Amino acid sequence: MEVWVLIALAGIAVLSSLGVLLSKDNFYSSLYMSATLIFVASIYAIFSLQPVFVLIVFIFVGAIGIVTVAVAATYRSDPESQFSKPWAVLVVITAAVVGFAIYSYKMLNPEMSSSVIKFELINFMSQSEYLILVLSLVALVVLLLLSVLKMVAGGTED
Amino acid sequence: MLAIDMTTASIIYVTSFVILLIGYLTAISSKDVIRLLIALELMFGAVFMALIPLFSVALLANAAFGIAIVTIFTSSGELLILIAAIAILDKQKRDIHTNVIKIGGDKV
Repeated sequence: MEVWVLIALAGIAVLSSLGVLLSKDNFYSSLYMSATLIFVASIYAIFSLQPVFVLIVFIFVGAIGIVTVAVAATYRSDPESQFSKPWAVLVVITAAVVGFAIYSYKMLNPEMSSSVIKFELINFMSQSEYLILVLSLVALVVLLLLSVLKMVAGGTED
Repeated sequence: MLAIDMTTASIIYVTSFVILLIGYLTAISSKDVIRLLIALELMFGAVFMALIPLFSVALLANAAFGIAIVTIFTSSGELLILIAAIAILDKQKRDIHTNVIKIGGDKV
């Protein structure tokens, strides 16, 4: 039963991502993108990975996705056709080959055991490692902000 | 609770790969930088999906959570840079279509 829920969620995620590709309007495309990410987060939820579910839904979709939707709504121009058929054929062939490769691995290794995900957010990192991670991520964001300020300042001079 | 076996892992990896390829196709077909931004975020969604089986390995679960956090920060940085690029492109060219970009990139 739960496998069917996973298949349904994965199928809806793929259909939403197809909506991103086939939609001509950027605004609807960004909405489909947010929907895809929410379905990916739902797959985390059915594996009981609540911390990652919260991170994806509240930070990735809630902040980054909404900013993208807002930018797409601001620069909403005349829709243009964007679909590239030759590349689509290559994509379908590649997906079929990879899908068959992964499926045939299961056929060749029937003794593969299954394991339940038991993830608890305790002892995630030692205190020193956690401090280093936070410091490096904060330094990264500060550097990015400075780079963006320099880019924008340089861009307005012309 | 749903267990990770080869069937569920196959479903997850194939879905992740299909979403990644659709992201690539969207990026290749994009005619403006907004569509490019949407395509990149879709690809990050595929990366999140590919991380799920890592959580089933007890030794790698914490590392997988760390990778998820770093991925979110990376995508935030990418959003920051692309929004700045969109603003600059709009100011300089009064247009956000990719065909107005004449410099940069590789030449074959």
